[in-house]
Amino acid sequence: MSVPHSLLTTLVSATEEVFDTMLALPLQAKAPVTGPLDVPANVVATVAFAGHRRGLVVVYSSLAAARQITSSMLGIPVHEVNGEVPDAMGEIANMVAGTFRNRLAAVEPSSDISVPTVTIGTDFSTLYSSAVFRSRCPFDMQGEPLSVELILTGDQVGGLK
Amino acid sequence: MRFLVVDDSSTMRRIIINTLNKLGYTECREAGNGREGLDALTANPVDIVITDWNMPEMSGVEFARAVRANDATKAVPILMVTTNAAEGDIVEALKAGVSNYVVKPFTPATIKEKIEAVLKA
Repeated sequence: MSVPHSLLTTLVSATEEVFDTMLALPLQAKAPVTGPLDVPANVVATVAFAGHRRGLVVVYSSLAAARQITSSMLGIPVHEVNGEVPDAMGEIANMVAGTFRNRLAAVEPSSDISVPTVTIGTDFSTLYSSAVFRSRCPFDMQGEPLSVELILTGDQVGGLK
Repeated sequence: MRFLVVDDSSTMRRIIINTLNKLGYTECREAGNGREGLDALTANPVDIVITDWNMPEMSGVEFARAVRANDATKAVPILMVTTNAAEGDIVEALKAGVSNYVVKPFTPATIKEKIEAVLKA
């Protein structure tokens, strides 16, 4: 089950705002997709939201992309990035989910967001035990693939009015 | 000008301190949550506090209330930097004693403008 287009458009613009403002890393948005990841994602940063709507915002990236993002956030060369990736990617997910949430809150009752969680590894996938609506927004970040997924559950899964 | 930056994210503390350094403010200390922030502020006074909202142990709003409740710290300006930007959030923060508000993501120009605003107030 896919997510309404108006919500994905909002998620894409929220993601672009975060990357433009905080990282000066322009993103090239591609068409949203539904289904399993088609690129390797070694870093997965997740923020949940609950309130009027319930769900998750999930940022997927390769380790190379995550290191590039961390480098841009901290203003240090990529080769100097060491243990900062989890915190930096968690903050990216926090800002993307927060900006998305703020944009929804401007036109409908608000939701609260959780603290971020970050998973780093290889050969893993994320499964959900209940029925969810999920769609993924792929981006190109200077040649590196990056994806932001929106997962909705509960009653409020419609588009923006 | 002495700053205390309170945020549980070490990344965000470094981003804010880098921004302050670029703006010419080089005397910056940091704390990882409201409780640590309160201890740091009591031990060494500063001219402006910049705090996150969502933090473990003591949130930014609880921290602001505690700062305002202490005679020794109640006058220090508090700038809150957070993703919480719903109208109700801002009202809650201001009621808790926050002086001004920056919504993430932010630019250095926004931080500069808000610092100037809280210093003028």
